[in-house]
Amino acid sequence: MSRTRSASPISRSVSRRSLLAGAGAAGAGLGLAACGGGSGGDAGTPESDPDHKDLVMTVWGGEADKLAYQARVDLAKEKFPDYTITLQLIPSENYEQKVQTMISSKTGPDIMQVAENVNVYSSKQQLVPLDDYISAAGLDMAATFGPVGENYRWDGKTYGIPDRSGAMVLYYNKDLFDAAGIEYPTADWDWDTFLDAAKALTDPAEGRFGFGGVGWWPQWFSLVAQNGGAVLDPETGAPSVNSPEAVEALQWAQDLYFTHKVAPTAVDYSNMGPEMGADGAFQQGLVAMNSTGFWAVGGNAGIDGLNWDIAPFFHGKEKAVSAFGSALVIPTAAKNPQASFEIIQFLTSAEGQTPIADLGQDVPANLELQGSDAFLDPEWLEADANLEAFPESADMIFTPKFIPEWNEMQKSVDDAMASFWLGESDAQTTADDLQSRLERVIKPSE
Amino acid sequence: MSSRKPVMHAFRSGPLTYGMLVILSAIFMVPLVFVVSIALSSDATVSTGQLTILPRDWRFDNFVRIFRTSLPVGSFIVNSVIISVTSAIGQVLSSSLVGYAFARLRAPGKKALFLVVIATMMIPAQITMIPQFWIFSELGWVDTFLPLIVPQFFSNAFNIFLVRQFVTRIPYEMDEAASIDGLGYFGIYARLVLPLMTPILIAIAIFTLTAAWGDFMGPLIYINSEDKMPLALGVQYLTSTSQELQTPPWNLIMVGSIFLSLPMIIIYYFGQRYMYEMNLSAGSAGVK
Amino acid sequence: MTVVDAAAAPDRGTAPGPAGRPPRAKMPPHRRKEALLFYLFISPWVIGFLAFLLGPMIFSIYLSFTEWDSFTPPRWVGLENYITLLTDDPIFWKVMGNTAYYAIISVPLGMAVSLFIANLLNKKVRFRKLFRTLVYLPHLIPIVAVALIFQMVFAPGAGPLNQALSLVGITGPNWLMDSAWVKPALILMSLWQAGGGTILLLAGMNGIPKELYEAAEIDGASSMRQFWSVTFPQLTPVIFFNLIMGIIGSFQVFAQVFILTGGGPDNASQMAVPMLFDEAFRFYHMGYGSAIAWILFVVIMAFTALAFATSGRWVFYESEVRS
Repeated sequence: MSRTRSASPISRSVSRRSLLAGAGAAGAGLGLAACGGGSGGDAGTPESDPDHKDLVMTVWGGEADKLAYQARVDLAKEKFPDYTITLQLIPSENYEQKVQTMISSKTGPDIMQVAENVNVYSSKQQLVPLDDYISAAGLDMAATFGPVGENYRWDGKTYGIPDRSGAMVLYYNKDLFDAAGIEYPTADWDWDTFLDAAKALTDPAEGRFGFGGVGWWPQWFSLVAQNGGAVLDPETGAPSVNSPEAVEALQWAQDLYFTHKVAPTAVDYSNMGPEMGADGAFQQGLVAMNSTGFWAVGGNAGIDGLNWDIAPFFHGKEKAVSAFGSALVIPTAAKNPQASFEIIQFLTSAEGQTPIADLGQDVPANLELQGSDAFLDPEWLEADANLEAFPESADMIFTPKFIPEWNEMQKSVDDAMASFWLGESDAQTTADDLQSRLERVIKPSE
Repeated sequence: MSSRKPVMHAFRSGPLTYGMLVILSAIFMVPLVFVVSIALSSDATVSTGQLTILPRDWRFDNFVRIFRTSLPVGSFIVNSVIISVTSAIGQVLSSSLVGYAFARLRAPGKKALFLVVIATMMIPAQITMIPQFWIFSELGWVDTFLPLIVPQFFSNAFNIFLVRQFVTRIPYEMDEAASIDGLGYFGIYARLVLPLMTPILIAIAIFTLTAAWGDFMGPLIYINSEDKMPLALGVQYLTSTSQELQTPPWNLIMVGSIFLSLPMIIIYYFGQRYMYEMNLSAGSAGVK
Repeated sequence: MTVVDAAAAPDRGTAPGPAGRPPRAKMPPHRRKEALLFYLFISPWVIGFLAFLLGPMIFSIYLSFTEWDSFTPPRWVGLENYITLLTDDPIFWKVMGNTAYYAIISVPLGMAVSLFIANLLNKKVRFRKLFRTLVYLPHLIPIVAVALIFQMVFAPGAGPLNQALSLVGITGPNWLMDSAWVKPALILMSLWQAGGGTILLLAGMNGIPKELYEAAEIDGASSMRQFWSVTFPQLTPVIFFNLIMGIIGSFQVFAQVFILTGGGPDNASQMAVPMLFDEAFRFYHMGYGSAIAWILFVVIMAFTALAFATSGRWVFYESEVRS
């Protein structure tokens, strides 16, 4: 190993220099390309390529959602045999990231499910405005979908066609109510009647609670709205979660857990079993009332011996309840928006939405279907459940402003509320903390 | 150790040693036994949360049922194999070439370049994560295996280092003899050194295989379609796409975890001595 | 090549090189060929370096000075990302604290555990191979599986950890939901894989000359003494190298946080890389994410430099025997 190593200093620096030059050029080139290439974000309807017939549709959810969406896609394929529609189901926690990958690499999707996060994309000009398509197709948004039809508008343009909507409702265990001698819940219940019932239904000896809890944002946002407050200002989207009304609502919510002990805390839930939540606890009869969306209907119906029903959610000073809705949109990355729109139009028609009702996935946004027996008295539901609670709740629905910073807002909410629901801080402190976090991430619109 | 000399204090083992080893091994094994127990549990046990460390159900059919979920678990496994094996091939081919060059060939600028190679070992992958994503999406490689495989054909600093260390330990006289026999540099590389490099190349293949098999972040970023996902990503998907109301199917997820882990154990069993070789090189790197 | 040589020859003068060689004249053809072959052979690495490393690094620096959502063109914002991160983002400081906590505790602790076990296995033990395999097995399990396994192990009610604790009368915490215990939980999880370090240390121990032990034995050293005076000093280079690589690696922890805690209760377990991932891929702030990556890089470099600087005090190199 005693060979001499030779390298003249000049040639060494030449190779180093050329290396740096090459790298610099590469880096600069990439930067320039990103500036130029990234400008696929022009607002306005892109050209439709009629030959593009391989459409990809992204949705989120679980097994039941996959079945329902696939059934609808199959119906669409019968109507539009020239097109292949591939359904991609993405877990909700990965949804934003996956969709970003697809949009930024211009690989679709052609049809995308969105919910409150719609304006993350529309504000960045990543969605195709649909007004021209809607008027060309003669689609009457108000008549077909009701007030929900307005939800997916941004900056004066419509970006989404509502697909699923359904108020949050109150599920209750009839046997437990009978045993405690309490009248079943009605739409007239207010905070006090509700609390009294919950207390009567709670039996620590049996490990049973009156109510599943309000830790999930649609639940406590409703309470804030019912008390006259607003987490986000309806006009500007500015946060106002530490207003006195909101704080009062939050404190009432927290008291359910720690003062009145009518709802299980996270510790209580983990003692019931791993991954146990309100829905599972309701099914096992460990909580007497649970507020959630439509999807619990199918699950509850499948439990033998569970005698349950639904009522509209109770009200506070005002009537307000969250709704769980989603819409279908067309990203600007889609190569054939015309085809995308036609498919969406079919999917949101009564016919295209029928599997939603038939399979009990959710509440269809299409009013015609919502009011029909196909939804209200479906085959798969043997129990005589009061599904009318959903259309009845329709005029109570309040929709928080869909701000572009929805995702960051959700994270701030999760972070700030974590210790609150464990009883580690009071409502005012938490609300102030959340307010400052939200002010950091949200820029109110003018 | 000869039986004539008494055992030195440093190497004497008594009941305390045995005791500690037994306890430690038991502690280390508990999670694995638990996994097997969950994997063999029935659905009812999982959803009511009555999991025990020692198996109480013996549902071996879970190992078959996992292939009947709505996720294409069979494809997950095949994809993982494809990605891992091609990655290993890429690293072996490129690292052997580059490492040999650094060990044997002389050229101006070589020392500086080698320093650059070493320096790149210190750069965390996250620096390049976002730009690489942009590059691959502009190339249209998103939702393919290419972003995971192609960079493996360009070697990496650690493997170059290993090969170079290894080759410098091969006596140079053999090279000289071969070149007298008329072999050019490439001939020496291909016919002489490459076969001798086999131990370290196998070690690199094993190392790359295991890294690619367990890679999670890469597929998370680049793979969208279910049928292209490797098992590492697929198993995580199993936890998320179950029916949202009920608990995830932990028994099947643990079966997936076993599928994810078993090949690694098998590879280790057969490739132990090559790994030892590599550990020597890696461990002794600090000695100089 | 010729141009360079022509420039080199007159400048070199007649000063002899270190080995007393005459100044290098023009490269003989076979050496030129050798050099060309060298560059050819290393071209895969060079191309990879430029395309996948250096180019992206420079692009990444550029991005860190922009606000970019990956859909619309990047918008230049100068130092704003860095300033926000360092002065106006309480989450970032918490995250860096978490990451440093995790790295500084889990790596040395892991090494200590590995050392302890390796010392046990270095003795004449029956079934040594079996113990060695059992200890090493967890290290082989891919991190995704480890995370899922430990999600069950940490279960507050049914999980083995809390069950074991209850045997000695302690009520285990809700490991993954309690902000005080979630980082220790992650550290415990990393300790489970300490078998990897054990094998490395065993290899190192095998290389220690027996004469040293014999000399210590003659001097009447006990087993503990022999460990601290012979084994440990000889191992310090190996330990040092693996400590460095370990700390660098643990600063980049991702999968277990992403899968197990998602950042934990109110960012109690959020680490740098998952935060980067969130900012870039979920909130679409790619410029911000790039700035996080660069700050992380600087921090890792600082720790590495610190480790190197202090190594002189405790790392023993054969070649530097001081009397």
